[in-house]
Amino acid sequence: MLSQEKIICHRLLDPRYGLYQLVLRGKIAATAQPGQFVHLKVGATTDPLLRRPLSIARIDRARGEITLFYRVVGRGTALLTDVKEQESLNVLGPLGKGFTKPAEGELLLVAGGIGIFPLFSLLEAVDRSRVKVKVMWGGENRQFLESAGLPILRELGVEYEAATLDGSLGQKGLVTALLESSLHRTRTSQEMHHSAVAGAGPKDSVLQVAACGPRGMLKAVTEICCRQGVPVEVCLEERMACGVGACLGCVCTVKTATGHKRRRVCAEGPVFDGREVVWDEG
Amino acid sequence: MKVDLTTRLAGLQLKNPVLTASGTFGFGEEYARFYDLALLGGITVKGITLEPRIGNPVPRIAETPSGILNAVGLENPGLEAFLSTYLPRLEKLKTAVIVNISGFSLEEYAKLAAALPENSCIAALEVNISCPNIKDGGMAFGTDPQSAGEVLAVTRKQTKLPLIAKLSPNVTDIVAIAKAVEENGADIISLINTLLGMRIDLDRGRPLLANTMGGLSGPAVRPVAVRMVYQVYQAVRLPIIGMGGISCWQDAVEFMLAGASAVSVGTANFINPLAPLEIINGLEAYCRQKGYHSVKELVGLAHRKEEPFDEEKR
Repeated sequence: MLSQEKIICHRLLDPRYGLYQLVLRGKIAATAQPGQFVHLKVGATTDPLLRRPLSIARIDRARGEITLFYRVVGRGTALLTDVKEQESLNVLGPLGKGFTKPAEGELLLVAGGIGIFPLFSLLEAVDRSRVKVKVMWGGENRQFLESAGLPILRELGVEYEAATLDGSLGQKGLVTALLESSLHRTRTSQEMHHSAVAGAGPKDSVLQVAACGPRGMLKAVTEICCRQGVPVEVCLEERMACGVGACLGCVCTVKTATGHKRRRVCAEGPVFDGREVVWDEG
Repeated sequence: MKVDLTTRLAGLQLKNPVLTASGTFGFGEEYARFYDLALLGGITVKGITLEPRIGNPVPRIAETPSGILNAVGLENPGLEAFLSTYLPRLEKLKTAVIVNISGFSLEEYAKLAAALPENSCIAALEVNISCPNIKDGGMAFGTDPQSAGEVLAVTRKQTKLPLIAKLSPNVTDIVAIAKAVEENGADIISLINTLLGMRIDLDRGRPLLANTMGGLSGPAVRPVAVRMVYQVYQAVRLPIIGMGGISCWQDAVEFMLAGASAVSVGTANFINPLAPLEIINGLEAYCRQKGYHSVKELVGLAHRKEEPFDEEKR
C-alpha cells in the first residue's frame, strides 16, 4: 500500500501541453487493476501538503512497472516534473475500485482529453481475442492526441475514432457526437439482426461503455448510453485529501433504492456506474 | 532504559499518548490496512450525530500553504447505524475508541451520550462543540462559555464515560471556554478543532469550497494550537489532548512541553499513514535520550521558571 517506487523513466512528451510520462518500478504493479490510481508525495516539504492522485495508465506485471501520464495543471504537478530517473517516489497505492473487465462482447472506450490515460489500462487488460474493443477519443487537435497517446493506440493495434475541436484529426467536434452516431448504428443493425434471427437476445447486453474525461462529457456520455440502453462505467475526478476513504473529502452523489447517498470517489470509485451518478448535484 | 509510555487522562487509560483525531481517521478501518491499530494509544472516530447526515456538497477540500481547508459538514451514518454496524467492528480493533459526538441542540447531545454504551470498547466521548462546517449547533456552542458549559452539563448527566470537551480555536478567549467546561463536568479537554478560513477561486471569482468557508488544519495551524494548549494548561487542572498540525514526533513533544498529556494526529494521516506510529517511536527515543523514565515527565515542562533541561544534567 505504501511503497517507495523507483523512477525508471520520466520524460516530457509535449512541452506545449505539459504532458509527461512517468514509469515506476516497485510493489504496486503486482496488484494494480485497470482504473485504479496512485497517490504521490510530491516534494519533501509541507507545501504543497497533500499527495497528488494520478490514474494508472499501464500495468506491466512481468517487469513490475506501472506507467503514469500527467499534464501539468498546478503546483503539485509542476513540482512533480522535477523528479529524476533513478530516484524514488513515495507512493500510496494501488487505490480505489477500477473498471469492470468484460470477458466477452464489445467494449467501447470513450475518452475526453487526458481522460484517455486510465482507459489505456483497461484496454490492455481485456482479452481482445474475445472482446471487440474500440476507442473513441476527443481532444483539442491532432498534436494533443499524438502526444497524449495515439502512438500507444497504434502500437496496440486497436480500432479508434478521433474527434478534434479544430477538425485537424478525425471528426470535427466532440467525442459525444461520435458516440451517439456509433451507438445509433449499432442498435439499428442489431434490431435488423434481431428481426432476422428471433430470440438472439444475449447479443443485446454485451456492448458496454467505459468513459473518462471532464464531468460534462461524462454526463453526456451517460445520457447517450442510457437512451440506447447500454451499460456505462465512468471514471470520476474529485479534489482528494487522504485517498483511502478516511476524510470524506472527495465524495460524489449516487441514486440508491433509499434515496441519494454519498460515495467516496477514492474508495467506492473512482469508477462508478454512470446511471447511478447524480450529475447535477455537487 | 525502558521508557514508560502509558498515559492516564482522568478516567481514560492509554497504552501511549498518541491518538488519532476525529474526522481524519474514519472509523479506523481505512488505516487498519497499514498497521495494527492496537499499537496506538487510541483512535477518535468520525463525529456522529443523532440522525444520518449527507454532509456538504463538493468541493469539500482546498489546499492552502502547509494546510488544508475542509468543509465535509459532518457526513456520518447517524447514531443507529453507528451502534449496529460500526461499533461491533470497532470492538475487534483492541484499541481505546473515543467517539466524537455532535448535536444541534442540548437534547441531541444528551441523547447521544445516553445511547453510547458504557461497557464496550468506547473509552471516552469527545463532545464536539467546535465543528465550523455546519450551520447551527457545532461551533455555535463552543464559542460561548455559557453554552459550552450547558452542553457539558447535560452530557455529563447521561454517562459515566470520561468526557472530553473539544474546543474551538475560533474564540477571543480560549481560557474562558476551558474553565466553563471544567466547571460543568468535562474530564479532559482536547484542542484545537480547525480554524475557520476560506479560499477564493481566481478563475471563477467565487469561493473555492462549496460551503464558502471551511476549517483549516495541518502544519499551518500548529503555532496557534501550541499557544492555546499552553494557555489552557495554565488556567485549568484538566488533562489536555493537544492537536493541530502534528506531523512528526518533534511536534508531539512541543505540545507535551506546552502542557498536553496526550496528542492527536489528524491531517498528517492523509500524507503519511504511518505518522502516528513514527511519532510513538520518536517520543520514546526522545525520552530515552533526555533521561526521562516516563513520557508523563514532559507534560507542561515549558511552564517551568528554571531551564527545564539544565536540571536533569545536574
